[in-house]
Amino acid sequence: MKENDVLITGMGVICAAGSNLEEALTSLSVGKRNAGQVSLFETPLKYPVFEVKEIPGEFDLAGRRSLSLTLCAVCEALSMARLPADLSELRVGVCLGTTVASQLNGRQFYESYRRTGSASMLAVDRYLKGNLAEFISRRVRACGPYMTVVNACSSGSDAIGAASSWIKNGLCDIAIAGGADELSRISLSGFGSLGIVSPELCAPFDGNRKGLNLGEGAGVLVLESKSSAAKRGSATELYLAGYGSASDAYHLTAPRPDGLGLELSIKKALLASGIKPDAISFVNAHGTGTLDNDKVEGAVLESLFGKNIKFLSTKGFTGHTLGAAGGIEAVFTVAGLQEGWIPASAGFRNADQTLPIAPVRKKTIINGRYALSTSLAFGVSNAALVFAKSTN
Amino acid sequence: MNILGIGIVFARGSGINCYENALREGWQHPAEVNVSQAKDRRSSVYQVDLDRVKDKNLWKRLRRADKFSKMAVLAAASAVTNSAVLDIDKKRLGVIVASAFGPQVTTFDFLDGLLDYGEANVSPTIFSNSVHNAATSYVAEVLGVHGPCLTITQFQFSFQTALLMARVWLDEGRCDYCLVGAVDQYGEVLGYIQNHKLSLAKDGRIKPFNFKPTYQVPGEGSVFFLVSRNKTANVFCEIEHICFGKNGEDNNVTADLNIIDADGTLADESAYLSAISPEIPTAAYAPLFGSLMIGSAFNCTAGALMLKNQVYYKNPVTDNPQGINLLQDQGSSGIERISCIRYNCNAEAAVIHLKCV
Repeated sequence: MKENDVLITGMGVICAAGSNLEEALTSLSVGKRNAGQVSLFETPLKYPVFEVKEIPGEFDLAGRRSLSLTLCAVCEALSMARLPADLSELRVGVCLGTTVASQLNGRQFYESYRRTGSASMLAVDRYLKGNLAEFISRRVRACGPYMTVVNACSSGSDAIGAASSWIKNGLCDIAIAGGADELSRISLSGFGSLGIVSPELCAPFDGNRKGLNLGEGAGVLVLESKSSAAKRGSATELYLAGYGSASDAYHLTAPRPDGLGLELSIKKALLASGIKPDAISFVNAHGTGTLDNDKVEGAVLESLFGKNIKFLSTKGFTGHTLGAAGGIEAVFTVAGLQEGWIPASAGFRNADQTLPIAPVRKKTIINGRYALSTSLAFGVSNAALVFAKSTN
Repeated sequence: MNILGIGIVFARGSGINCYENALREGWQHPAEVNVSQAKDRRSSVYQVDLDRVKDKNLWKRLRRADKFSKMAVLAAASAVTNSAVLDIDKKRLGVIVASAFGPQVTTFDFLDGLLDYGEANVSPTIFSNSVHNAATSYVAEVLGVHGPCLTITQFQFSFQTALLMARVWLDEGRCDYCLVGAVDQYGEVLGYIQNHKLSLAKDGRIKPFNFKPTYQVPGEGSVFFLVSRNKTANVFCEIEHICFGKNGEDNNVTADLNIIDADGTLADESAYLSAISPEIPTAAYAPLFGSLMIGSAFNCTAGALMLKNQVYYKNPVTDNPQGINLLQDQGSSGIERISCIRYNCNAEAAVIHLKCV
């Protein structure tokens, strides 16, 4: 561990796989996939989705689903970190990624406005008071920087990377970082219009994959400087070793075919970690289950890590949770290192003959110290996070 | 961190020279637009007219982009050109785009499609343009950027947060140059909301020094800075500090001029009085570009121009019921430091300290 590495002192998650980390890991362990038809709103679209079945009552802020999901994950992470609910006495930053929670997209509000020329301001008030990082920052009375990252599907990973930079640069001692998104009609119909949503359960990296399934949830890490953790008497073996980000500069919705941005982001993360590719014990890939994403990502992973790299996509358990994905997958990656196992890559059955590598087919023991989580976003961002387990 | 180049798009045109002209010429009445659903049928708005920009090569690459993204790309590309830095390694160039509302006009366009044609028949092009990092994506694509990219959407201090992130990236060595900017767009629905939440200036004049009650005139546009640790002959100024704090308590830097973001986007802007000193003249340039949550970027641009040109630009609107020390005269002087101050509705301040280099 390097002197300025950022420790992970807490984790929280809520997704279709479970309402907390323990529940979610149980689902992952037994291969349980909690998908179904949309129940949150009426829609003619019949795609399977990964909804959160129940948000624990104390976190359920009526009509503000993304905030509720975030709050649930944040509270679990703070509890694990043994931090109080009121953080005003500490130097805490909040950096969260999202897509849906950033949009002024109230359908009822707009329908009323279009039809009658007037509309209730309730949806607007919720929106104006519901910016993700601003809301959580005020809720926990954090007095450090806050930032809502909207890098589409890499939002959560980039938020974690940015928060680690804050700590390394002394802007705060502790950061609540990750991502959250609710399932929304806009996303469902929008992704449907792009022709990349699967009518079946998603099958990342499978030869017969037909697209992604949407999901929802939140995943949050508590990042902390060594000195802050030591001062609080908080011990952990887990840390964020490196973060890399790079742009494709290619297309608004399609990944660059040669994977340049992803490759650059991974190389930067490895360089920041001070390790070589062979130190990576497994990769939690972005693995959406779309033809293009998995093709590009599979090729890049093979070129950097070789044919025998252990990798998986946890989207088979969560669906693609968009702005939450990077946060949720960071939690699962860190948990994989901590627990010493990763689940089978859900949905994978048949190898894609055009891909040089295939994900793990069964629950797999992990002995290494480093793991990588990747995120690819619409058009711009590729993000890579290297997590590590100390030998000390 | 130094500002090496600036690109800007606002109601009176595009390019830093155009903005400098506006600073010299002073206030002009903004255009009146039809606001069909608002309480007042016509309203003053500082609206950007992209038809005035005759750059076929740029528009060809942006033919599917919405106005939000076009404004951002125009400002970002202009910042690079303005810097005259020719040898930027695009793998070492980052992009950070800040916004308060994102491409909300396109989001409502998408909802139009959803309501008119049903959820199975929406437009993929409109959807992809409504994603909040679309503008960043277009900037990266058009300029060939392979460095890190970040998009921020938040109501409070989004531009200041973007600048802070740019500084962190440069300090960490994630990039050598960073295009950091802000963009927001006016739209009919946003206008309707603003009409409900805030008071519109019936005479089209934002009066930044009224503080309470306040009156706003919506604006739109984009500003980008090319920033770096490097210095060039064309450098505007240094961004010395970016401070956040209750009542600006982190604001310990003495400035030759305070530029405040007061523009009527808060119903009560009296908090600015606590940051105003009788010894230091105060200016506010919102009457040139409109009321915007990202107005700091435009005011900061005025400050950067003053430091580079060593010229004060007079306040475009000087109604001064509180009798504060306003910058009155346009003239040359030794200007060392300028503080650009923004308050939010919780009386928290963010201050960008600019310094002559």
